[in-house]
Amino acid sequence: MNYKACVCNLCGTGCGQFLKTNGKAVLGVSPSIGHPVSKGKLCIRGWHVNELLNTNDRITTPMIRSNGKLRPASYDEAIDWVIERMRDFSGPSGEIGVLASARSSNEDNFALTRLARDIFKTDVLGVGAEAGHHNSMAALTHAFGYPGAIGTLTAIDKADYILVVGTDITRQNPVIGGNIHAAQMRGARVVTICSARTQIAKLSTKHYQQKPGTKGLLLNALAKALYAVRTMNHDRQANLDAIPGYADYIAALRSISSVALENASGIRYEEIEEEARYLNMAKSVVIVFSTGISGLDKQTTEIIANLALLTDKMDHEHSALIPVAGISNLQGTYDMGMTGKPGKSVFRSLADARSPLKALFVVDHDDGIIRNRDRIENLDFVVYCGAFKNPFMDLADVILPLTSFNQTDGTYTASDRRVQLTRQNTENLSNSLPGWNLYQLMAEKAGQYWGYCDAAHVFTDIAKRVPSYADLTHDRLGRGYGLHWDPKGFPTAGKKKFHAVRIEYPKPKTSEEFPFALMVGKAQHFWHQNNLMRKTLIPRREYDQTLLLYPQGYVEICPDDAKKLKVKDKWTVQVTCSAGTTMKIAVKVCPDMQPGTAYIPYFIKNMISDFLIKYDDAFSAGEESVIPVRIEEA
Amino acid sequence: MSKYFATSQEIKQLAEELCKSHEIYGPQVDQQSGQVFFDVLSDLDALDLDAAIPSMPVKEILFPQMERILQYRYDDATQNVTMEKAYAEKPKVLFGLRPCDLAGIQCLDRFFLGQEYVDDVYLAHRRQSILITNTCTRPWDQCFCVCTHTGPAADEGYDLDLTKIADGYLVQVGSEKGQAIADQRGWTPAEARQLKEKDAVVDRSVEAFPALAKDNKAWISRAMNRITTGFVKHEIWEYIGNQCVECGACSFVCPTCSCFNIEDAKMCDGECERLRTRDSCSFEGYTRMAGDHNPRQPVEDRRNKRFFCKLSFSQSKKYLRPGCVGCGRCQWVCPGDIGLPNVVQYLRRETTA
Repeated sequence: MNYKACVCNLCGTGCGQFLKTNGKAVLGVSPSIGHPVSKGKLCIRGWHVNELLNTNDRITTPMIRSNGKLRPASYDEAIDWVIERMRDFSGPSGEIGVLASARSSNEDNFALTRLARDIFKTDVLGVGAEAGHHNSMAALTHAFGYPGAIGTLTAIDKADYILVVGTDITRQNPVIGGNIHAAQMRGARVVTICSARTQIAKLSTKHYQQKPGTKGLLLNALAKALYAVRTMNHDRQANLDAIPGYADYIAALRSISSVALENASGIRYEEIEEEARYLNMAKSVVIVFSTGISGLDKQTTEIIANLALLTDKMDHEHSALIPVAGISNLQGTYDMGMTGKPGKSVFRSLADARSPLKALFVVDHDDGIIRNRDRIENLDFVVYCGAFKNPFMDLADVILPLTSFNQTDGTYTASDRRVQLTRQNTENLSNSLPGWNLYQLMAEKAGQYWGYCDAAHVFTDIAKRVPSYADLTHDRLGRGYGLHWDPKGFPTAGKKKFHAVRIEYPKPKTSEEFPFALMVGKAQHFWHQNNLMRKTLIPRREYDQTLLLYPQGYVEICPDDAKKLKVKDKWTVQVTCSAGTTMKIAVKVCPDMQPGTAYIPYFIKNMISDFLIKYDDAFSAGEESVIPVRIEEA
Repeated sequence: MSKYFATSQEIKQLAEELCKSHEIYGPQVDQQSGQVFFDVLSDLDALDLDAAIPSMPVKEILFPQMERILQYRYDDATQNVTMEKAYAEKPKVLFGLRPCDLAGIQCLDRFFLGQEYVDDVYLAHRRQSILITNTCTRPWDQCFCVCTHTGPAADEGYDLDLTKIADGYLVQVGSEKGQAIADQRGWTPAEARQLKEKDAVVDRSVEAFPALAKDNKAWISRAMNRITTGFVKHEIWEYIGNQCVECGACSFVCPTCSCFNIEDAKMCDGECERLRTRDSCSFEGYTRMAGDHNPRQPVEDRRNKRFFCKLSFSQSKKYLRPGCVGCGRCQWVCPGDIGLPNVVQYLRRETTA
């Protein structure tokens, strides 16, 4: 039979999939009906992964740049050259940066951390989405004792109460969105807190459309109301009292003024009180929020963790608190240590003109738009390893081909800690190396012998060194649909602590001069700013048709605002931000926006490279970042 | 047409014999997941005629998800184009088709072959195919073919039709091609009691629907009436559209969906290839026209297009049957809750909850 089971390599849901392959090429896709999370569903990306895997835009041979031009080389020669050049920069001063990929397997990322630590001797690491994920992991570790999801995604199918914070989940993780919708249909209460009227907001039992930037305040108000309901019912939870930080947290909650709440967020406290009654009645609660590139800021994730603790329902088998990742192995990349230390990221080094960074080692960069391009152009040495062609190749001195996810064995850790194995199901015709083997050969060239014979062997090493993976093996993962890694690997697991919260009533950053609150985010087909989706046929057409309609990109505003500005759909406007940068962009009139807000998907090149460059926190703060802008007819 | 009786052993021999001259496809079960696929049989022992209906429609064999249909090369110097077709005609036998999938093939035949334009690629796959159907002796959870008149037994369009009866199979011949095959086998003509036995099998299968086919029911004729007379309120379409995540899955698994897209892709050595991939009306880019006009831009308009195509009278007139064969796969794969049977419920009850 030609259908081979594998795990979708695109987002952090970890859907089960079959690839139809004749051994040489991937011909089609089928969903996996028995998969406990995806249950036979896939999104547009998953359904078209055969197109991606069939692309002719693969990197097939190692290349070395000499005299400004790339020429084919052997792996041997290319690896030699990389090790020789890197020797000059290696060392703890941080001259080498490693920009890894959150789509790489655990085995690849584990070997890459070894390469970075033992050979390059650098700790300037990172993946595209690390800032947001570090926030989520820190918040969860403080509150629940370990960096990973509490509970699992399958809890959605049984939970009484589901809270979706912010994320446009039917676009970013459509299958999780579908599961939440199914839960709503079977009678669960689904509540969405989001400043735009997203699809999941429309499908929810209740949508709180708060003013931008006040998600945290609203969640704190919900916590206050929950506490109040319990006090009124004389329903004192003694075990909560014992959790460190409880008294301070409650004191902070008590200080919330309902008038100030309404002024800041636009939501009345009475509504929140009613919500708290539902929340209190539910036996099991699932909270999902997005992590990674479109994740929330530190404070909001801490508030979410606190609320989850306060519900006192997180130990129920159908409860969960899940940081939903936009990339397949973001959680695993963090587990392997590839996201680096907080505050010491490769992006920070790139952005800081005074950093000692001289060389960059990049793996599978999915973004079509390269941030800090000028800096990278001026680096002494850039290595790019990847399966698919990418604009990064123009900047690279050495290019090394890698296998794609279906051409090698590898494990991937989904948002809810489910570690799943994909086995090689397609021949590796161009003899590309899987990441772990490439890094092993580099280490060998540098004089270190690792001795891995296959991915399963690398995984036994992972099990030895990463405590939460201790009881996993390829053999165990190969049976069924993977296994969740064990939080007990962390000695602090189960030790609960409240975060200290400060109650703030965010004043609108908008002013008369800059009346619009601009939000930055992503849309479905623009996933990963497209380097992968651009190599497909149908998803690319969907992307292109938006680009054809709005060639310079678009800013979404509501019909009333459009009327006030005297503009119509597709008309060009000038957007000026408070820091002074401007850009010309088309208007997209969208009834799902609230008045006074504007939204730009961040696949638009101008915006990332020029317009937003002064708003560094627009990337790290993700969904909650609000930029005051003025919009005028151009 | 003639009717025979064959033992299980003789049916196996039939497969072995056909296998010599044909590529043989049939239902088989993935060991680990238990998922059923109708795919090429590398090992005849894998053929499982008792397996549930395949998870993916059989159209994959005649109208694959992605197919190279042409390769060409343009020579700059001589300004010459050389091209060759990239598909080949191979005799195939589809062994053990479920009746719903057969109905799907009949719809595809009418679309690709039955109108003014005949699709060469489809024809090449279809021309030398032998269709051997297999009566469903029981329905599965998601089946509702009794509502669309496509099962549990096939009534036309097959070459040979198998029905499992007590001690073997009743084989019915449905075409000259089928008769030619039957003539070469030494099957005994069926007795009247064996024909009766088949009727009993079908009756039992139909009777088992309320108990076993619990997932879906669809009163197709009522929904057809509403759709054809334009009786459906816009709010209902909106309610349906809101649940669509635009994944295209319903079209990809529908045995009758025939929309496709054609793209030329450059290969590394200057050669170009023309790819045909399945397409879906749920995508916004699907109906976009030149000049930025899109007659079906809002998602609910795209959704109702799909159900017009499946259920309206004018479409059914073209296909000589409704565009739904009652396999229930769309209900399986839809991340929203808008598989066709559910939509029929919404339309019929005019409900948005």
